[in-house]
Amino acid sequence: MNGPAPINDRRLRFDSFAEDDLFAKKPRLPAMGWNSWNAFGSGNTEELTKAMVIKIKELGLDKLGYKYVVLDDGCYRPERVDGHLQSDDVKFPSGFKAMADFVHEHGLKYGMYNDIGTKLCSGAEVGIYGFEKTDCEDYIKWEIDFIKVDNCYYMWDNATFADPENARYSYAPNIKSIEIDGITYSASDAKITGTRAEVKDGYVTFIGTFDGTAPDHSPVGLRSSELVFGISSDEDKETDMRITYASGAVEGTGQWLQVAVGENMYFDGLEAPTQSQDVFTVSPAINIHLSKGMNKLRIMNHRRQENTLHSYAEIRRELENAGSRDIVFSICEWGKTQPQDWGHKVGDSWRILNDITFQVGSDGNPGTAAWEGDYTTAITSQYNKAVIMDEFAGLGKGWNDPDMLVIGMDGIDDVMCRSHMAMWCMMNSPLMLGLDLRRVTKGDHFYNIIANKDLIALNQDASGVQAKRIFTTYNCSEPDKECIRDNNRIDILAKPLANGDIALGFFNLSKEIKTDDPAVSVEQILDSIGHKTAGKDIFANAKEYRIKDLFTGTESVSDSHEFRAGTLNACDCKVIRITPVS
Amino acid sequence: MTTDDFIKELCNKAGIAFDGIYERGRKEGWLDAEDELFKDQAITRKNAARICHMYLLKNMKINDLDINGATALKDLYDCRVCANHIAQVYMRGIMNARNISRNGEFLWFDLNGEDDDLTNSEIIRRLLLVHVGDHVHQDMSRS
Repeated sequence: MNGPAPINDRRLRFDSFAEDDLFAKKPRLPAMGWNSWNAFGSGNTEELTKAMVIKIKELGLDKLGYKYVVLDDGCYRPERVDGHLQSDDVKFPSGFKAMADFVHEHGLKYGMYNDIGTKLCSGAEVGIYGFEKTDCEDYIKWEIDFIKVDNCYYMWDNATFADPENARYSYAPNIKSIEIDGITYSASDAKITGTRAEVKDGYVTFIGTFDGTAPDHSPVGLRSSELVFGISSDEDKETDMRITYASGAVEGTGQWLQVAVGENMYFDGLEAPTQSQDVFTVSPAINIHLSKGMNKLRIMNHRRQENTLHSYAEIRRELENAGSRDIVFSICEWGKTQPQDWGHKVGDSWRILNDITFQVGSDGNPGTAAWEGDYTTAITSQYNKAVIMDEFAGLGKGWNDPDMLVIGMDGIDDVMCRSHMAMWCMMNSPLMLGLDLRRVTKGDHFYNIIANKDLIALNQDASGVQAKRIFTTYNCSEPDKECIRDNNRIDILAKPLANGDIALGFFNLSKEIKTDDPAVSVEQILDSIGHKTAGKDIFANAKEYRIKDLFTGTESVSDSHEFRAGTLNACDCKVIRITPVS
Repeated sequence: MTTDDFIKELCNKAGIAFDGIYERGRKEGWLDAEDELFKDQAITRKNAARICHMYLLKNMKINDLDINGATALKDLYDCRVCANHIAQVYMRGIMNARNISRNGEFLWFDLNGEDDDLTNSEIIRRLLLVHVGDHVHQDMSRS
C-alpha cells in the first residue's frame, strides 16, 4: 500500500459531490429491521439470530416494516480462509448462506457487515480492503439484501484503530506562499473558504475537512477549507508554480496536496516530508495552465472525503458487478468525512456520528444507553446533530443515520424510549431495533413503542421528507441550521406528509418538566416547510384541523390556526398529525 | 505474556480446567475465536480487558457498572467495540490507566499496549476478587 489510489473518475471528486451520477440508485424509504450490535455486541450467534427472526414473525413486526435482519460485527472467523470470508464456526456453525436461507424462508431480508479498512472494528482481520471483488461475490452468493460498511482500520485517514499518522493524507501541508512567474503570493493574503483553515504565524493551516465523528461541530455549511488565490494572466499559457510549505502527519497538517485552477487538477499527491510542520521548504515545480484574465488557483486537500467515497464506491460497484440483487447500502463512517456531502452518491443512509452507545448488550444483559452525555453516546447527542440535517436527506438521496435504536436498554426509561422512537420517525432515520426481542411480548411497553403504527407511518411516508426543526425555545435565529447542545429546551419539528397532512413533534429535551407551552402557527409552519408541503394552500386556508395524538390515538377538531403541546414532562414529547378540513 | 498464558493462568487461579477451554469459553461467550487463533501472540491490554469483562459477565454473573467514571480515559472512545470492556475493568480497579502527564490530569488506557507478566497476573488476581454488589474500586494507576 503506497498511498490512496489515483482518482481518475471526476464523479468521485469534491467538485462533483452534488451530482447523482455514480450509480442508478433505487429510491427507497428508510430501512427498518433488527441489527445484532446493540442487543448482543460481538456475542451474536446463529441461535440468537434465529430466535430474533422467530420473534419478529411472532410479534408481527415484519408487517409493520421491520424486515431486515442484520448480522453486525463479531460474526466472522477472524482471519480469511483461502482468501475468503468465513463465519465464526462456534457462533455460526451452519455458515452464512444457511443463515440467509433461514431469514429468507421466514419472509425477511438478510443483512451483513464489513469494513472499508483492513480489519473489522472487532479486530478480525477480514476487512474488505483489497478483497472487494472476492467478498462482494461471496455476499451475492450468500444472498444478502443489506450491507453495513464500517470504517475502522482505514488506511487513508486517522480513523478508529488506524495509524494516527494517516492524517498525512487528510490534510494539506501548511502553506506559506506560492510563486508563479517570479511573483510571490502570500498565503495569508489569499482567500480561505469555509471555516476549517486558519492563518497562523504567517502561514495557513488546517486546509482539509473537519472530522465529524464527535458531536461538537455542525454538519451544516461548508465543512472543509481551501486556500484560493486570484491569479491574473495576460494570456493563455502553461507555466510553473512552486509552493512554500511545511508538512506533517497530524490532524490539521498533512502531506497530501491538491492544486487546481478552476476545476482542472494539476497536482494530487504527497509532497516530500519536511523536517517538521513549521520548517518550510519549496516544492518542485508544478506545471499549470492559466487562462487569459483572472484565474482561481486552489490549494486544497479533499482526499479525506474523496478517498472514503472511493472506497465505498468500490464496494458498491463490485456488488453490482457480482449480481443483480437489490441491496440496501448502509454507510457507517460515523460522520467522519462529512458523508452528508457525498453519501447520496453511493449509499442509502450514512451514519452521522460515532456510536449511540458503547455499552452494548449480550445474551442476558440488555446493555446500557443514555438520554444525554458529552459525547455521541446518548440519544440527544445523535438527535442534536441529525435534527439540522434535513436538507441532506430525501427520497433518492438517502437518509441521515443517527445509529440504531436503543429502546430496551438499561439507563433510559419508557418516556425516553417513546421520545427516541418519535425523534427517529420524524427524522426519517433508519429504524433498526437493537434489543433482544425475546424480552418483548405483544402489547407490552416495549412493543407499544416499537410497533406504533402512526409513528412508523411518519417514518415511512411516501414523500420521504425529513422533519425540519421550525422552532426551539433555545435562543437562536436559525433553528433549522444551528447546532444546539444545550438540552434545556423544547424543539418543535414539522414534517410534511404525502397526503397533505403535516406532523408536528414537540420535544422536551431536558430532564425537567417544561411548562413553556410554546405554540406554532400555520403561517410559521408553512413559512418553513411550505415549499415541501403537498396542498400547501389547502392547509393554509383550512377552516379547521383534525388533530390526532400519535401516542394516545385521541382525535380532536380545532378551528385554531395555532398548535401547542401544553406541559411536557421531562424528556417527553407530543407528536400530532394534522389534517386540514376544508 | 501470550493470550494462551493469560487464559491458562486465569483458569488455574479460578480453578477451572484449561483443557478444552477455547471451545468451552467460546460457547460460554467469554472467549472469541481470535483468542484461539492468535493464542501465541502477546496479549494486548484491550484483549485482556475484553476477556476479563466477559468472564465477569458470563462466568461470575456480575453485571456492568455505570461507565461515566471511565470517561477520564482519553482513549476510551478510540475503540467503540472495546470501550465497555475497558470501562468495566477500569471502573472495578481490575486494570489501571496509564498516567502520562504525571500530574493526574491525563489518563489513558493504552488499548494496544501490553503489560508485563507480573501486571497480568495481578489483573487476574483482581478479577477473581470481584464480588456481586462490589462498587467502584479506586483507580490504582497512581499507586
